Amino acid sequence: MRKMLPPRKLALYGSMFLGFLMLESPMILVANQIEPMIMGVPFFFIWNLGWWAFLTALFLVAYLTNWGSESVFSQSTTTQEASL
Amino acid sequence: MTGSILIIVAFMVIPLIVGVVSSRQSQETSEDFFVQGRAMGSIAVFFTVAATWWSAFAFLGSNATFYTSGPVYLTALAWNLLFGFMYYWVGKRVWFLGKRFNYLTPSDLMGDFYNSEALRILVALITLVFTVPYLQIQLTGGAYLIEVASNGVVPFWLAALLFYFIIIVYVWVGGIRAIAWTDVIYGALLFFGMMFAGYYISNQVGGPAALFAQLQEGSPSHLTMPGPDGNMGYSMWFSLFVIVAIGAFMGPQIWLRMYSVKSGKLFNLMPFLLGLAAFAYFGSVLTGYTGVLLEPDLENADQVLPVMLMNYAPYLLASMIMAAGAAAAMSTANSQIHAVSTVVTMDIYQRYVNRHASQARIVTIGRLSLVGFSLVAYILALTVPGLLVTIGIAALAGTAQLIVPTIGAISWKRAHPMAAFWGLIGGVGCVLLLTYGASVSNPLGLHAGIWGLLLNTTLFVGLSLVFQRHDQDVVERFAKARKEYDAQFHPERLEDGVKRVAEVTATR
Repeated sequence: MRKMLPPRKLALYGSMFLGFLMLESPMILVANQIEPMIMGVPFFFIWNLGWWAFLTALFLVAYLTNWGSESVFSQSTTTQEASL
Repeated sequence: MTGSILIIVAFMVIPLIVGVVSSRQSQETSEDFFVQGRAMGSIAVFFTVAATWWSAFAFLGSNATFYTSGPVYLTALAWNLLFGFMYYWVGKRVWFLGKRFNYLTPSDLMGDFYNSEALRILVALITLVFTVPYLQIQLTGGAYLIEVASNGVVPFWLAALLFYFIIIVYVWVGGIRAIAWTDVIYGALLFFGMMFAGYYISNQVGGPAALFAQLQEGSPSHLTMPGPDGNMGYSMWFSLFVIVAIGAFMGPQIWLRMYSVKSGKLFNLMPFLLGLAAFAYFGSVLTGYTGVLLEPDLENADQVLPVMLMNYAPYLLASMIMAAGAAAAMSTANSQIHAVSTVVTMDIYQRYVNRHASQARIVTIGRLSLVGFSLVAYILALTVPGLLVTIGIAALAGTAQLIVPTIGAISWKRAHPMAAFWGLIGGVGCVLLLTYGASVSNPLGLHAGIWGLLLNTTLFVGLSLVFQRHDQDVVERFAKARKEYDAQFHPERLEDGVKRVAEVTATR
């Protein structure tokens, strides 16, 4: 039998969905403007960079929390990987 | 000029040496030649996936798109993240099944799960037919750079020929191991080159802030969608996001980079690394937009970066960055040539021509296929003109269709072979009709690939719900493998997860 998604996993995937929604849903058209410029960069670019940074950071959190799953890896496995 | 050519030659020869040296570790087996014995480590995996994923399409096409069409290519930030996410979610499952059942190609997984020869052949055909045009644009992009760097002394045809000759040599001797090693060099050059080129070139107009201010005054339409020509709006924004990420992800060259990975843990980190690397696109923003101000009348937009470098950067720096551009093209081309040769060898030769071929014979056929496909791509590069991005997206729209049966195979018991087959036929047919049918226009302005995916998914889900699979042994074999996957990586999905982990561990 399958269980429901654990809360941590749900939060991670929910936040990712939000990030992609902000970047790729028609909502992007709201941000599709030059003003206000922030540090000389048009607002549209700032919006995209901001949500990109949010999602990238979220992927790091996901990695550190084993994507919300129970960890089943041993340390020895990860050290073995660090080779070409 | 001579210095410039020498730098490019050096850039080509160094990876050649690296490739040849790496080949000393090679074994004459198909598994080693095609997937490095499924033992590729983390550094090589990251660089070879990133460098393969980032191509001439990214290095030259991105600059050209900002230059001609405004900010639509900025959606690349999101498509890199989506690609990374898929590499984790889909890639890890494909890797697991590949290791469990000894797959080497996309057709191996599809043919096995759907238990259908027709589907196996169809998948092989799609990967071959739609990879070759994408391969063509790598060759075209790399040759552009060499042609411009040499000021026409090395003509396009010769540059393209040299380009492929080098690739064939080191892939021939070292297989995927040589590619992975050289991709470490190519990847580093590529990201550094994109970022630094943008920063340096934008300083010609006073830096990024001054660049945006001047653009706002002189050509504000370049800063918002739908761009200066009014045809790159939200539809294209969304289409690029979906098609490029999924299309590239489903290319056979990326499949091989799922099968080759040594440990599943690495898949967890890749989305972060691939997402982070996307910041390099900001370099393309700066290069393309500076081109709008300083070189507004270029005939071929794909040449905006090399032309800007030749006109505004010191000779040595320009040559080094162009070498990075050639790296982008070469790192994708080498992987694609290798991947299509894998498909020909394993899916066609070994399966239908010579089932009892020896390992040495298989590797030889793989090598000969390298030469054959390189020749096809070379002829296409010389005879079929077009912007890199335009050709690239059409090709990616075709391979993107494979995502539907792939997700079915890794996650849905009911997925039916007939549904997968007709879904693919419908999806690819739709792409071809909307792309090449002269009198048909794309509804809502969405790319043909999006409509193909919609039709494909509808047919796949609908027919799978209608038909019943009768090969329960295959279905159960995969259900068991998926449970093992869950037990190993997502024990919380199973009621008795911890117990299952112990059971699985004990049986290995």
